[in-house]
Amino acid sequence: MTEYAIDPEIVPWLEVLPSHPLRTYEDLLAARPRISEIRARMPVYEPSQPIDVRDELIPGAAGEPDVRVRIYAPPNTRGTRPGLVYIHGGGFVAGDVDMSDSACLKYADVLGIVVLSVDYRLAPETPFPGPVEDCYAALVWTAAKATELGIDPVRIGVAGGSAGGGLAAGTVLLARDRGGPAVVFQHLGVPELDDRLETESMRTYVDTPMWSRPSAVFSWDSYLGEGKRGTAGVSPYAAPARAADLSGLPSTVVMVCQFDPLRDEGIEYARRLSQANVPTELRGYPGTFHGSGMVTDASVSKRMAVDELEDLRRGLRITSI
Amino acid sequence: MAEPWDMSKYAIDPELLPWLDMLPLFEVRDATSLAEVRAGLDQMRDKVTPYEPTHPIDIRDEVVPGPAGAPDVAVRIYRRADREGPQPALFYIHGGGFIMGGLEMADLYAIPIVDKLGIVVVAVDYRLAPETPFPGPVEDCYAALLWTAAKASELGIDPARLAIGGESAGGGLTAGTTLLARDRGGPALCYQYLWIPELDDRLATECMREYVDTPMWNYPNAVFSWDSYLGEGKRGTEDVSPYAAPARAADLAGLPPTVVTVCQFDPLRDEGLEYARRLSQANVPTELRGYAGSFHGSTLIGDAAVTQRAAADQLADLSRGLGI
Repeated sequence: MTEYAIDPEIVPWLEVLPSHPLRTYEDLLAARPRISEIRARMPVYEPSQPIDVRDELIPGAAGEPDVRVRIYAPPNTRGTRPGLVYIHGGGFVAGDVDMSDSACLKYADVLGIVVLSVDYRLAPETPFPGPVEDCYAALVWTAAKATELGIDPVRIGVAGGSAGGGLAAGTVLLARDRGGPAVVFQHLGVPELDDRLETESMRTYVDTPMWSRPSAVFSWDSYLGEGKRGTAGVSPYAAPARAADLSGLPSTVVMVCQFDPLRDEGIEYARRLSQANVPTELRGYPGTFHGSGMVTDASVSKRMAVDELEDLRRGLRITSI
Repeated sequence: MAEPWDMSKYAIDPELLPWLDMLPLFEVRDATSLAEVRAGLDQMRDKVTPYEPTHPIDIRDEVVPGPAGAPDVAVRIYRRADREGPQPALFYIHGGGFIMGGLEMADLYAIPIVDKLGIVVVAVDYRLAPETPFPGPVEDCYAALLWTAAKASELGIDPARLAIGGESAGGGLTAGTTLLARDRGGPALCYQYLWIPELDDRLATECMREYVDTPMWNYPNAVFSWDSYLGEGKRGTEDVSPYAAPARAADLAGLPPTVVTVCQFDPLRDEGLEYARRLSQANVPTELRGYAGSFHGSTLIGDAAVTQRAAADQLADLSRGLGI
């Protein structure tokens, strides 16, 4: 591997993190169970109060199957609270709601919000637009059921990491363009936004840990279908970096990691949101890479986790807890 | 004074809006308006409530050797009187578009930082443009940095924990001084802090082209600033030095760990983002923060939550970078 100035506190963990890039469908089939194994080794968040967790099947897009969502609800002591539609990562091709159980439990517990995690269908079995339409259906359902869920309908946010960050951005663009639910905030963690793969970080980071150009190629080819990546016909709801107009979007936080091929597309999306007059916060962390936050003991990971909670708190207008 | 800025154009943080009228109207276009703005800066300083330190702080001025063939340079050293032994230090370069400001401006920054963190701050009174164009100002900074490193033990500075930082034009001068230190084999710096830095004379980024009327800093001010610093007719040409406009540096490798901050409605936003991006790509540990709804110098509005967040981040960044 090229020498990257990775944070010394993270370096010792490099060996235990998955390093094999996804290049083929066979790689993917092998990787999907490995992700579950890694998850099983991660510490599980212990809530300080009973969080009601339940799965629901909600209506999908027209003509599409129902979508499974997992709802995390803290005890409702103060009337309504903000809601967060959370979209897990996994390169559009892997992951599920189990993967983000810990994160969602923490958000519900620490922030006192209702979290709705979307078990969207995965590529390549379901290419675009299925996955993002599943996420949008979950947003629409959340807004429609706000009263039942004890959610304040004017404080619904959308958040996601990696491919989930890209799907979050796509879902929020759909909400704007279809006159859908009002979204007060979007949190885009290391988002996967651009199928063109032309930024400097994406061109040069061919061997960075956890995510690299070869994985990105496979990810977009799976999500868009072979031969579509980088062509003129790619929808902005698939690759939000393609959206010509970013005005009218909700307040946004974009988080990027230094040695992540997605770094430059995240910075550019934040820059364009800023220019489009959308209140935009940008955070880039030194010595980090895609998913290095999994090394929770490193101080930079702790800072990232604290900042993320603070950003959600501010974005969802949580005044006190 | 008439409403100077059309704020309906920009989604400025609502907590900042009520204060816009009280900020100085920086419109520097020529020698006359520069003289007015310099005088206005003095008046504003008189209106600022001085920070009351909770610890005794020793402040002393020194005159140190300037660049070869150039006059001596004044520096001001701030140190907590209750701190014994070597302390981490920040070499601080004030802002002001290369054309205004001085040690009084450094006081506003240095005294609270020294009080809160217990570090030593050395502030440099570099000569200003247009009276002294490039390379005078950045060479003054570099000369004062050399002196600071050479006198570290006398000044009670831990030489392994010497950082450099500055805001606005001071951020640009910080980046230039740090490039000089790398390229001349000068003092080792443990960190560089580039707060809303002025880095690029080409004025070609999207925000620089479009933010012609943003508060405190905007395209017309930037034109005057760079024309003053580089001399008329140099801006945007091929022979601009990277030590004047660090965005011009072809190679950013080997620079110390860096923090870059940017404000949303600041014409300097995109050049800050791009410098941070290039530092990241050059394998320099780089932290980047952009603050929503803020503008150049909006941190003067201390009551706003976004200002308080930025200030807390800055203290945390200094603490981390200086090993406090």
